[in-house]
Amino acid sequence: MTTSTAATPAVRKPIAWRRVALHTGCLAALLVMLYPLAWLLATSVKPADEVIASLNLLPSSLEWSNYSTALEGVNEVSVWRLLGNSLFIAGGAVIGNVLSCSLAAYAFARLRFRFRGPLFAFMIATIMLPHHAVLIPQYIIFNQLGMVNTYWPLILPKFLATEAFFVFLIVQFMRGLPRELEEAARIDGAGPFRSFFSVILPLTRPALITTAIFTFIWTWNDFFTQLIYLFSPEKFTLTLALRQFVDASSQSAFGPMFAMSVIALLPIVLFFLAFQRFLVEGMANSGIKG
Amino acid sequence: MTATAAVLALCAALAGCSGSGDSVGGGKVVLRYTWWGNPDRAARTEEAVALFEERNPGVDIQTSFSGYDAYKQKLATQAAGGDAPDVMQLDYRMIDQYASGGVLLDLAKQKSALSTADIDKGLLATGVVDGKQYAIPQARGTETTAYDAKQWKASGVELPREGWTWSDWADAMRALAKETGKPGGTDPGQSEDCFEVWLRGQGKDLYTKDRQLGFTADDLAEWWTFTDKLRREGAVSPAGETTQLDGTVENTPLGRGKAISDMNWDAPASGFLALVPGGVTLAPMPSGEDGTPGQYFKPSMFMGVAEDSEHPKESAEFIDFMLNDMDAAKILGATRGIPINAKIREAIGPELKDFDKTIDDYQASLDGDLNAPPQAPPSGDSALQTTFMRDYDQVSYERMSPREAAENYITEAKAELRS
Amino acid sequence: MTTTTETPTTVRTRQTAAGKKPPRRQREGAAWVFLSPWVLGAAVLTLLPMAVSLYLSFTDYDLFNPPQWVGLRNYTQMFTEDPRYWRSVVATLTYVVIAVPLQLGLALVVALALKSMRRGRAFYRSAFYAPSLLGASMSIALVWRAIFNDGGTVDNLLGTGGWVNQPGWALFAVALLTVWQFGAPMVIFLAGLQQIPGELYEAAAVDGASRWRQFLSITVPMLSPVIFFNLVLQTIQAFQVFTPAFAISAGKGGPADSTLFYTLYLYDRGFVASHMGYASAMAWVLLLVIGAVTAVLFRTSRSWVFYASEGDR
Repeated sequence: MTTSTAATPAVRKPIAWRRVALHTGCLAALLVMLYPLAWLLATSVKPADEVIASLNLLPSSLEWSNYSTALEGVNEVSVWRLLGNSLFIAGGAVIGNVLSCSLAAYAFARLRFRFRGPLFAFMIATIMLPHHAVLIPQYIIFNQLGMVNTYWPLILPKFLATEAFFVFLIVQFMRGLPRELEEAARIDGAGPFRSFFSVILPLTRPALITTAIFTFIWTWNDFFTQLIYLFSPEKFTLTLALRQFVDASSQSAFGPMFAMSVIALLPIVLFFLAFQRFLVEGMANSGIKG
Repeated sequence: MTATAAVLALCAALAGCSGSGDSVGGGKVVLRYTWWGNPDRAARTEEAVALFEERNPGVDIQTSFSGYDAYKQKLATQAAGGDAPDVMQLDYRMIDQYASGGVLLDLAKQKSALSTADIDKGLLATGVVDGKQYAIPQARGTETTAYDAKQWKASGVELPREGWTWSDWADAMRALAKETGKPGGTDPGQSEDCFEVWLRGQGKDLYTKDRQLGFTADDLAEWWTFTDKLRREGAVSPAGETTQLDGTVENTPLGRGKAISDMNWDAPASGFLALVPGGVTLAPMPSGEDGTPGQYFKPSMFMGVAEDSEHPKESAEFIDFMLNDMDAAKILGATRGIPINAKIREAIGPELKDFDKTIDDYQASLDGDLNAPPQAPPSGDSALQTTFMRDYDQVSYERMSPREAAENYITEAKAELRS
Repeated sequence: MTTTTETPTTVRTRQTAAGKKPPRRQREGAAWVFLSPWVLGAAVLTLLPMAVSLYLSFTDYDLFNPPQWVGLRNYTQMFTEDPRYWRSVVATLTYVVIAVPLQLGLALVVALALKSMRRGRAFYRSAFYAPSLLGASMSIALVWRAIFNDGGTVDNLLGTGGWVNQPGWALFAVALLTVWQFGAPMVIFLAGLQQIPGELYEAAAVDGASRWRQFLSITVPMLSPVIFFNLVLQTIQAFQVFTPAFAISAGKGGPADSTLFYTLYLYDRGFVASHMGYASAMAWVLLLVIGAVTAVLFRTSRSWVFYASEGDR
């Protein structure tokens, strides 16, 4: 933790009551914020007749069998297999997005080339078309490439910087860096590749970590794409499997569905906790002194 | 660079798991079979599939399932992408669209592999579009008025009986509301299915043979006026409850303990058992005022084969196995509803347990009394089902009169059916 | 997740950047190398499908049969014959106006509060982010329905009745779900705040600037690229809001079409009603509207967004 360096403006000691007020406010806000999460946890151990019907937070009795049902997995695919598949897809997506989006962002933010303006506008425009409209053309492309029912359609696009959200995010961070950084590197004889890897990339680390965290969480929760492209049950993910407990045409199992949601939540909580601490390392302590 | 190494590793892993979409793997014929359902149905289906594979060592069947809503979306995308699975489970409402879209194979071409001798002719005909048998029903279901047995009995209101009419039903709803303080049942105004039962009770149909509307704005306005009045009286569920229906029994007023009864299909009604402590009884749907029954045996799940399947013969053999094989039937039980094959129904009937038995008895009590089912609804119907609910929302939230909403619906329906 | 193993070198800033600039062509070549993955992805996985959907918007396409050219019929039908379309437009605009300022405001306030905190920052950051881990999954939608139902927590506290089942309130319940998940813009704000060099504040403090003054003259301009990013992206995403409303209303956009947002109706037309041509036309109208709004935002950004690298452009 580098809180002392980061909070340098406070040369004067803040007055104690401000801190108290700040913490009280934050805690009160948290109480409201975390209430639905408590509800989620409580529901995962509710008996079947209370899962939907009950409007009380607390279950009348604890129904742990929801968890044992969920842990059995679905359709003879174990929960560990599902977990492994989810991790593989999310992990691949993280590597792909961080790599490809930072490359593209560097070109847009710091290099000059023809059609930069129009291409940037096009990139932003790609986020504006609702993805349902391109779903079928994309499916046809992946089908033609023989990639349906593999993990390619879920991971390959990330290696090709198709998520303009992250390109734009990293662009904004790179544009915030002073231009003298590369000038100095150039004087030291560095080309664009070296100044990208050794000067710019380390300084955009908060944006890269942000990209990694969001990619992991969003890919993990992306029910829709996984549903469309995966066929074989042994390739399914946790996010797909938990929805298999709910079927309007027969009997649903909402209790195990909630239990599975909690199980599926744990890895992303761990991922977030592991990576969020890198967010604090910004420029303030990255070795630049004026 | 660590990142490069990671990329290489990833590519290797991806390559390792690609290529399973091939239709021939290790010299075997590979069939893809998809269906919707829940984990229990999955377990029984897998067991039946394993038996088929054991008897046909040259065939490998890959199965996949999702919940109904997800399934519809996935199958539509696959079919539009020219990648429909070899064998697919279809709903009544999907047949017309998939058949007229050229997705389905005419199963008459595979007659030798697929026998339909033991299937009720009327039900079999529901899988016919433009004279071709595109799909074969697997099971049958019918609607029911499911009610909380304990509370209804305790209220002293006369219990539902076969042959009761819509006015008997309305009186019962009012009486229940008065005695129990809860609405008697779910507001059926939102349900196209209930409207169909009401229409058929008057000798009319939702759709004509040439796939146009079989009723007028007057009929619909009359139906909505009828249900809206009951809603205003508190005899059926209020708008705020009705609008939250999402197809699962858990979200019905009966399932939430907010009403005494619910009109639903018989198979999902089993879900009420875990939710209603007083137990659930299945009663028939109300009939027309002259006693004409409106409900019918609906083929609940169909099986079809993709037009561009590379193995139509094996696909047909598999369907034959699922429909007609006694060993398969014993494994599958009533997981897809009460089997449509008469011989199998007779054979496994006595072996059914618990709620499957209840459903079987309920259906047996209606056997022979109901009119033949209509042909599969036109493809526009899957959209109209939602439009029906949306337009009734406008009525129950008192933003439109039943007449206005009905005229709206007719306009929308005509546009939908034109295309 | 670092993509480099080299440690950042100490960079000395020089008064004159007298180094030799490589020839223009060489630098341009370098740019295309950096862009190459994006170009490939944009051409094959983005541009091609977009072109297809633009074509489909002028056709009648039921997913299975070949598309039939109908010219502008989808567009005219949308604007003149479909009252539900206009209801979805109104619902979406209302949602954008409510959800975007609330979510961004909350994210910024919390990020600033966390920034000024000396202890417990990691804890609070994680806790405030926790709701955003869930996405708008089916389970959280069911929780939301329970909390905002008749007799649910909110009804008991405020006496408003249920929110999810009243047409006048349901949209707020959906918006609150989005606002509640403000973790993404918060983390982006935090990352932006971390990037502001501490020396700026030290110098200002030496000059005797108050904290408010420091906020206005250092934090706001230095953070403006990130504020701009969040504003643009959250606006774009709000116009396309789908999942929370889809999950809470079980796909119907009810009650009484009050949460039938644009993309929800688009999905309904395309995949439920199988009018993919009409859905594609809706998508392109939305693209044009969002494009116009974004263009306006970019134009105004020139007057309030400050880029440290802007000196030699």
